[in-house]
Amino acid sequence: MSDDQLKQEIKEMIVERLFLDADPNDIKDDENLMENYEIDSVNLFEIVVGLEEQFGISFEDEDFSVDLFATINNLAAYVEQKRG
Amino acid sequence: MSGGEERLVTFESGGEPLHGVLHVPAAPSGNALVFCHPFAEEKKCAHRTMVEAARACAEAGWAVLTFDHRGCGDSPGAFGAHDLADWREDIVAAVECAARETSARVGLLGLRLGASLAAQVAEERADLACLVLWEPIIDGERYIKQNLRRSMIKAMMTRHEGGEDSEGAAAAAGALGDGTVDFDGYRVPEVMREQMEQIDLTDPPPSFGGRTLVLNIGASDSVAEPMQQLADAYAAGTAAAVRQEPIWQRIGVIDADPIISATVDWLRQQ
Repeated sequence: MSDDQLKQEIKEMIVERLFLDADPNDIKDDENLMENYEIDSVNLFEIVVGLEEQFGISFEDEDFSVDLFATINNLAAYVEQKRG
Repeated sequence: MSGGEERLVTFESGGEPLHGVLHVPAAPSGNALVFCHPFAEEKKCAHRTMVEAARACAEAGWAVLTFDHRGCGDSPGAFGAHDLADWREDIVAAVECAARETSARVGLLGLRLGASLAAQVAEERADLACLVLWEPIIDGERYIKQNLRRSMIKAMMTRHEGGEDSEGAAAAAGALGDGTVDFDGYRVPEVMREQMEQIDLTDPPPSFGGRTLVLNIGASDSVAEPMQQLADAYAAGTAAAVRQEPIWQRIGVIDADPIISATVDWLRQQ
């Protein structure tokens, strides 16, 4: 899967799981998700579960940081790293 | 409420008086449901939907008894003083109360942990009219892990926003001392945590033979594999998916009509 494909899948997953009234294609790779989509702790939990289920990765406790969830770029880099 | 009646009821379980509300239909179908509520913060978030569901079922002719377990809501006792065995006893007592008050055949409707407890009670009560499981906890170990993770994320966000989270850090580690764990501010005693961890609704396979609906609630229109497997494990099980924001995760106005409609439609076919 290419980097762009991965980012697109993450965007689609976020829009679906958070019931966002947004087009995945309009989400920029480097925009701040928490500020622009009012993502709170409930949403973050959904994103974690979504990433684990969709990409077969597992978050470790020490991985959690606000920066990780800040942008699509950061999430995609994390998924890539976990998938080795 | 159209023509029916809602009245407070009190019934005893384990020597304690439990608080409930009985929704009596104007045109009874001869069936009743006991609504088994979810756990801790999820109960608080889902309360409005539970009441709306009870009213909708009553309009469809099903009497519904909603109640609070020992140590929860308006029923007496401290939250941590009871365990899942006590709460299964409460459900049995509620079934008997509903049967006594309505002379109807009683089934169980449960949400999340309440659905899991309902499923466990149904294994001992073949006489139940039916079983409706809203997003049941199938794997208790995963449920615990996810709740601890939720606490950790909340603590992380609190720190990010400049707040204090003295218990959050401990919650992130999973323990608050004495084997208790933090479920969004509810201290879960060790014995209850262990009972939750042991929940596995598919092993051994369920033996309840009555009509069973497993309702998968979430972002997808299709039934998730574990929910389908659970439904398939029942002799008369059906699974359905409802695309709906999880009603147990957030306090606020959520239109739960998709869940309620799916349930009422299914009940009308019974």
